[in-house]
Amino acid sequence: MNEATIVGLLVSVIEFGTLLYLAALGETIAERSGVLNLGVEGMMALGGVTAFWVGVETGNPWLALVVAMAVTALFACIHGVVSVVFGADQVVSGLALTILGLGLAAFFGRNLVSARPNARFGPLDLGFLSDLRGVGDVIFSQSAMTWLALLAGIVSWFVISRTRIGLSLRAVGESAPTADAAGTGVVRTRLTAVAIGGALAGASGTYLTLALAPGWSEGTTAGRGWIAVALVIFGAWKPGRVGLGALLFGGLLALEPRLQTFGVEISPILLSMLPYGLTIAVLIVISIRSRNRPSLAPAGIGIPFRREER
Amino acid sequence: MRLARRATPLRGGQPRAFAVGFIVALLLGAVLLIASGFNPLEVYAKMFDTSLGSLAAISKTLTRAVPLGLAGLAVAVAGSMGLWNIGAEGQIIAGAIGAAWMARLGPDLPGPVLIPLMLLAGILGGALLAFGPGVARSRLGVNEIITTLMLNEVALRAVRYLLNGPWKDPDGNNFPMAPRLPDQSELPTLFERANVGLVIAVAVVALFGIFASRSAWGYELRVAGSSAKAAEYVGISLRRKILTVLVLSGGIAGLAGGLELAGSAERLNENIAGPGFGFAGIIVAALALMRPSGVAAVAVAFGAVQVGGIGIRTTGVPGSIANVLQALILLGALTAAVLSSYEVVRGGRAAPAADASAPVDGAAAV
Repeated sequence: MNEATIVGLLVSVIEFGTLLYLAALGETIAERSGVLNLGVEGMMALGGVTAFWVGVETGNPWLALVVAMAVTALFACIHGVVSVVFGADQVVSGLALTILGLGLAAFFGRNLVSARPNARFGPLDLGFLSDLRGVGDVIFSQSAMTWLALLAGIVSWFVISRTRIGLSLRAVGESAPTADAAGTGVVRTRLTAVAIGGALAGASGTYLTLALAPGWSEGTTAGRGWIAVALVIFGAWKPGRVGLGALLFGGLLALEPRLQTFGVEISPILLSMLPYGLTIAVLIVISIRSRNRPSLAPAGIGIPFRREER
Repeated sequence: MRLARRATPLRGGQPRAFAVGFIVALLLGAVLLIASGFNPLEVYAKMFDTSLGSLAAISKTLTRAVPLGLAGLAVAVAGSMGLWNIGAEGQIIAGAIGAAWMARLGPDLPGPVLIPLMLLAGILGGALLAFGPGVARSRLGVNEIITTLMLNEVALRAVRYLLNGPWKDPDGNNFPMAPRLPDQSELPTLFERANVGLVIAVAVVALFGIFASRSAWGYELRVAGSSAKAAEYVGISLRRKILTVLVLSGGIAGLAGGLELAGSAERLNENIAGPGFGFAGIIVAALALMRPSGVAAVAVAFGAVQVGGIGIRTTGVPGSIANVLQALILLGALTAAVLSSYEVVRGGRAAPAADASAPVDGAAAV
């Protein structure tokens, strides 16, 4: 194992971490408002295809990012309207979003499979920082989107835990009737949170097709959306902890293709089960520990709110 | 004039909502097709023709409806108690693994012995995968939505592991695939493409339907589903029921996996759960309002959409339109169902509506 392999691994850890963090952060925001959105996998795929298409057509990665985020934000609003406004079951509506998103992505992406966009989020040159040995490659040669993901995480943490808007968001997520009585618009807050969640899943999809892969084919998302859903629980609905979880799970994804290089005799396929297994383990630990303590999950998750029924 | 919730739901509301959802899906699908340069009338005609236009087509649709209906029933069994089994997908795979294992153990057994053993192993495989979430939910209150969801991905990787390693066909030119199943393990044909799996599935759905509506057990299930407090008050053990129901649910999905392997597949493969039979099962159960009779009807409709989706590929239309249509049917029907629970009232305040949608058991920690 030489230096280049280790640097390569760490670069990949941060790349996968970026991918997972963007989507998981969006899901965190939605769930903090009390809306479980199981549509992440579909939103990611649709965002990825949209970004890839705009990238192929215009060659402008930033335009691709903006368009993809707008499309997935609107797309997420389907779930928002059906589950928040109409009060349908969040599980069913979210899964429908995944199936719809994967279907639409496959439909619109069918002619893009062999396309090569000249739009890409490549490594960002940060001058002398990028030239540093090791650190320069691992941290200071990442694409702009990694920095954006970090920024989005910090902003989310600050807004959720330190501002009035964040207080409203949490109040709606903990107890919609109480928040409503206090004058907070429950439907408006939840819709906004779901739309932001969609936009971030779209950004994650963009990163997938214009930086990480880069390219599009059916199945490119490969269950990473579900990992993002898992990460939210793993990170206890806190942007910071979700970020650490993203690095850990990103590490597992990065290790997968490299196991053999490191001379480990375990099948990489077995390793790829770990993120899901770890999440189940964490859920069990949380519920054992929280027997005498309040649960970490937003109390209002999954519960539709109808004002007339108060 | 204003909108108010109806005091009592419309009669026959759900079939109507399904019809509305279906029409909405076809219309939106048509927009999509036109935008992509296809003629929607031609496409839909072709879909109808290939899925319902002949006896052979109908047999294909019914064969598809088997895994869809069983997955739907699996979800509905759990759903009638207010539990979500999102893991039917993984349980189907686990069932197929179990059945394939049995075929490996007894490759020389005669068909009438081997096939029942395979199906039994399939049921056990699915039940086993649901057992963990069942215990976690009933003993520790761990949310079954996430655990069953995560196990889908684990099961998918388990079959991938088997195909790449221990179960790899030595004569497969190093391709990651399992050896061919023994010939006598194939389910006997009923007519055209339909096999006896159809009879088994219909029997299971009907049996559960009768059992759920006539037996004390089924009654307790519904009581527990509508109010956890009421159930405990009358002495129904929720813990045991939760575990039983989830294991039963997993077993039904596992049976679907066993039937798929013995009925439609040549060998165990990664796509044994089709284009997401487990996830489609959730839509089926939701559209059927968790009722077995509804599950059967919706499963046949979805079977037709999926078979039609394959049928149109020859005309160059991507088959993924079938998935799009399925999701749109559900979203359309969900919307229609909600809208139909409202009525236009003139002036004044309406009588307070009955609380029909209170969360069943919000106590589980996510």
